Amino acid sequence: MPKNLKGKDIADIIPDKCIGCQICIGECPTKAIEMVGGVAKIDPELCIGCGKCVDVCPANCILFEKPRKKKAAVAQKPALAEYKGVAVFVETHDGRAADVSWELMGKARELAEKLGVQVLGFLPGVSTEAIAKEAIAYGCDVVYVMDNPLLKMYLPKVYGKALVQLCNEVKPEIVLIGATPLGRDVSSVVATIIETGLTADCTGLDIDKEQRLLMMTRPTFGGNIMATILCRNHRPQMSTVRPMVMKMPKKDPARRGEIRMVEFEGYTDPLPSIIDFIPRASDVGEVDIARVPVLVVIGKGACNSQYFPMLEGLAHLLGGTVACSRPVVQAGFLPYVRQVGQTGKTVAPKLYIGVAVSGAVQHLVGMQGSERIIAINTDRHAPMMQIADYPIIGDYAQVVPQLIEGIKARVPTLKAGSAKL
Amino acid sequence: MHIVCCIKQVPDTTQVKIDPETNTLIRSGVESICNPYDVVAVEAAVKLVEKYSGKITVITMGPPQADSALRECLSIGATDAVLLSDRAFAGADTLATSHTLASAVKKLSETEPVDLIICGKQAIDGDTAQTGPGVATRLGYNQFTYVSEILKVDAAKNTITVRREIEGGCQVIEGSLPALLSVELELGAPRYATLPELVRSLRQEVKVWGAKELGVPAETLGLKGSPTSVKQIFAPAPRKGGAPFDAAANKEQAVQGFLDTIFKNDSAILAEVLKSENKG
Repeated sequence: MPKNLKGKDIADIIPDKCIGCQICIGECPTKAIEMVGGVAKIDPELCIGCGKCVDVCPANCILFEKPRKKKAAVAQKPALAEYKGVAVFVETHDGRAADVSWELMGKARELAEKLGVQVLGFLPGVSTEAIAKEAIAYGCDVVYVMDNPLLKMYLPKVYGKALVQLCNEVKPEIVLIGATPLGRDVSSVVATIIETGLTADCTGLDIDKEQRLLMMTRPTFGGNIMATILCRNHRPQMSTVRPMVMKMPKKDPARRGEIRMVEFEGYTDPLPSIIDFIPRASDVGEVDIARVPVLVVIGKGACNSQYFPMLEGLAHLLGGTVACSRPVVQAGFLPYVRQVGQTGKTVAPKLYIGVAVSGAVQHLVGMQGSERIIAINTDRHAPMMQIADYPIIGDYAQVVPQLIEGIKARVPTLKAGSAKL
Repeated sequence: MHIVCCIKQVPDTTQVKIDPETNTLIRSGVESICNPYDVVAVEAAVKLVEKYSGKITVITMGPPQADSALRECLSIGATDAVLLSDRAFAGADTLATSHTLASAVKKLSETEPVDLIICGKQAIDGDTAQTGPGVATRLGYNQFTYVSEILKVDAAKNTITVRREIEGGCQVIEGSLPALLSVELELGAPRYATLPELVRSLRQEVKVWGAKELGVPAETLGLKGSPTSVKQIFAPAPRKGGAPFDAAANKEQAVQGFLDTIFKNDSAILAEVLKSENKG
């Protein structure tokens, strides 16, 4: 145990374990901690050995052994106990619900059962009756419907106000929102107005039963580290989850539930006007690669227009499409919407087929949720080959034709399907 | 036009890794960079100022070292820079961060009213995309996230028109200023700093504001003002690869061997995939 010149037992930080979150700096009452070279460092002469930094360090990187009185368990504030139920924001587009909302309904069911509460649906929009019924079929107990012409098109201020109103009136303890462009946009508006905690892009959600807290796990530092986050003293606990992270629950049309109408308070301030909407056509350039079950992903080493029809043929044979890594977009070979990875799209297809994709970290974080990974590469040491379930060492120009023939031979019914190419 | 760019200095996340043996962070050689989305935001602001005239103030919340990220922005055309640095800001989540940034924008507006805030759509270390909308909400500004093109600024009507990339397509939307834009990389690559600009960026004074300058109570900032807290961190379960099929040696044998294995081990996945194909 180190002591300072005054003979006080002091805390010490293990630099290798420090993640540079700076939480200890905010907690230290004597301003003894500073960031030095990306890690926290304690000034031994300023440290008073109070151990506050040890309590808050998420990485357990502070050495301090002085016996301390255990903090009395903080009783949940009575105001927090008023909040009950797991709510899901049901996102709609053109009278259809986003799949991610139903995926979250399945997760909400699981969390609600652990807490012994109901699953609630928050459904702002217009003519939403069919969607409300669908919400019940997917596991919702009570759907709160806010039907108002102002909610026809999404605008952050209006939808933000609608959801804040629902949160204040219904008081759910948890609100789950799909991490779609719309969901990410509105969730932050709501959390800021209510002044509660919001955790983005969670990949794991669970309940700490003892404390009745939502444990939100998300990747951070570009997916290299996982962090579990809590929102202890504010309600609702809000979380967004990307599409295709949670499992789609089974739809049960016979399920019973309740639909309650809520009157929207309205919005009177001037609003932006949507001038135009240009839908992305589903041709080669413009398809949502995050929603396709099979992706043939082209890497820098396969950036060759001669072989592109062959790779596209493989994708179509399996009912999929082509995507790519960042260098392929930079080379102007494929458009940005096709890019997988940190600055592109996160995908989790059933089958990911990487063709000469080396597997830079930025790419891996965008596809490591894939169910099965096949990699074709001449370099057996490429990172992608280390994580692939099926690494094939070889030149794709040779391997892929073999692969196409082999698949056709095994599944004769596919021949008709591939004829459309 | 007075444009504020909110930027963040981030570790080059591609270099941060966990040592699988010791479960500790390997950070030797990890550089700090200006968040790539934010550099695009500054470039967008520079283009607007070139077209409509005005000035750009770039602000960041961070430790004293974040000064270098601000200077990088000055070198590519920002006019002024303010570093928001105080122990009271440390340990902030997105709610507390948006509070600090919004307070700084309010303070800037006292002397020169702010017309537009531009920031990157997200930072590459946290990837939350929450701070921008948080700042807009606190200030009551119109927010336009995922902007891929700035189409028009109408000074007479005091409006801005942008194109946004959203679910299923892109949206052209017009709203009144002041507004906040969060921008996509597609908006355009930043320019290279010229030598005179580089020299200016190094010589120019960067103001430093703390909680006192912002006039905000410390309990609403940093760790104390953050509803969320990190409970623990851990390395993601590594994906373990399978045995390789060596097509370099014998391509027919390797491909057949691969197909035999996948059709045997993953018949369920293949059946599902091929079924969805037959439907289409």
